[in-house]
Amino acid sequence: MIPEFILRAILASITISVLLGLLSPLINMKGLAFLTHALFHALLFGAVLGMILGLVLNNLSLVMVVATLVTVLIVLIIAELERFGFSPDSAVGIVASFVAGLTVLGFGVLYKVMAGRPYFPLTENVVSYLTGELFLLTKENLLTLTVFGFVILLVLILFYRDFLYISFDMEGVESYGGNSRFYLVLLYVLVGLMGSLIVQSVGLVTLQVVAVLPGAIALMVSEDLRQIVLTSLLVTLTVQLSSVVIAYFTSIPPSGIATIILGALYGALLIRK
Amino acid sequence: METSVEAKALTIYYGKQVALRDITFQLGLSETLLLLGPNGAGKTTLLRTIAGFHTEYSGELRVLGKRPEEAKDLVSYVPQSHSLNEKVPLTALDVVAMGAIFRGGFLHRRIPPEIRERALKMLRFVGLESVADKLFRNLSGGQKQRVLLARALISDPKLLLLDEPLSALDPSARAEVTSVLDKIRKERRIAMIITTHDVNPLLEIGDKVMLINKRMIAFGRPDEALKDEIIKSVYGPMARAIKVEDRLYCITGDFHIHRLGREVR
Repeated sequence: MIPEFILRAILASITISVLLGLLSPLINMKGLAFLTHALFHALLFGAVLGMILGLVLNNLSLVMVVATLVTVLIVLIIAELERFGFSPDSAVGIVASFVAGLTVLGFGVLYKVMAGRPYFPLTENVVSYLTGELFLLTKENLLTLTVFGFVILLVLILFYRDFLYISFDMEGVESYGGNSRFYLVLLYVLVGLMGSLIVQSVGLVTLQVVAVLPGAIALMVSEDLRQIVLTSLLVTLTVQLSSVVIAYFTSIPPSGIATIILGALYGALLIRK
Repeated sequence: METSVEAKALTIYYGKQVALRDITFQLGLSETLLLLGPNGAGKTTLLRTIAGFHTEYSGELRVLGKRPEEAKDLVSYVPQSHSLNEKVPLTALDVVAMGAIFRGGFLHRRIPPEIRERALKMLRFVGLESVADKLFRNLSGGQKQRVLLARALISDPKLLLLDEPLSALDPSARAEVTSVLDKIRKERRIAMIITTHDVNPLLEIGDKVMLINKRMIAFGRPDEALKDEIIKSVYGPMARAIKVEDRLYCITGDFHIHRLGREVR
């Protein structure tokens, strides 16, 4: 008999793998690795704001809602800066540094709020956020992950070809009558939503690695698009499920194990190359 | 005269800085213009302005009788192939279909059969039907350029803008691409503007030549525009036009030899 928390972790891993399997190659092909770095800052800032509001209003479920809204807003600002002619890296650099500063200020406010209120329930939230805790996922968490994951997946599948085209030649899409800005913003929002959705499972600290490396690995070993997506999906699924099993027997957070396996795999491929 | 492009006292800016000034010319409906000039002369800037990508300009610019932003449906722009992201595993057919797929709707999960057929027809036109399912990044430089030409033609444009189509190609690939450009000129009878810093392989297909270097230096038929003193004024005192066996060549500062054609005296 499999314990229920393990079953939830396995189901969450499968959902995360399907999402990352499709999105990670796009993140690599479009050169959005630095955007996932901005996600780290956006999600942390959003979480801090959410924690302040959650404590003040005595409703900690606000943390995820606020973090999601802030993240989407920040990726939209990055997309808008790109439209004004900033390179993707410059746009992320400007926004990330600004948001990092705001996050530190937010922590100052959070400490003050914590001083006057009981904050014990927040501890679990913070741990899930920073390191990811697949074993602490509740039924509600799993339901949210599955439902919103399905919506993201659906949009991703519908627009996948358009995303490939803007990654290949953004100006060409515009020149041949496509709305390249719409596709770019949609892709950025999907990356932001995906980050926000999986952060409690994979952890803020390791989010960038699990978002980037499966796609990078797949691009190293496959040429054809189907093979690339399939490899990315299989790598994520294998690594996620292995990390759940190893974590169960070793009591080490699964996100840490997943990151180390991915890093080792990528390193080995680089050395072999 | 009906024109594909008409510019009067066109000056192009980047912010407050003037990139190119005093451009005045007319190009007929099925004429080919070769746009020459050294690196940084403003060739791509002029091309992108005509394409409607760059809108900071003063003076008058009409493309097929409309403002450039309004004429986008009638114009196809072919970028330098190295500006494309080849990490994306698109096939030659995918790339060509891209030229038509965005004209219908905003969701394109699959290539519609009708566009697939047209894409194959265009690949046939440029002699590359056999590589339809090959990845674009695995094609040779000349093949890539021909695929981009097929992509530009699939939307049935009235004006084709080509940015350095021969750059970084070996002589045989240059010949392949030039022959396709000649075929487009003869069979499709659409106007073309081609930027190049090496005019030699293209002179036979050019009806007009424009020489620019931050401003328009010369415009006219090749034998009118490419004179010894004009070439010197752009490429420096070492540049010159020489005649060998009744053919004129111009030797520019970077030692490219441009043949001017037999008819030039």
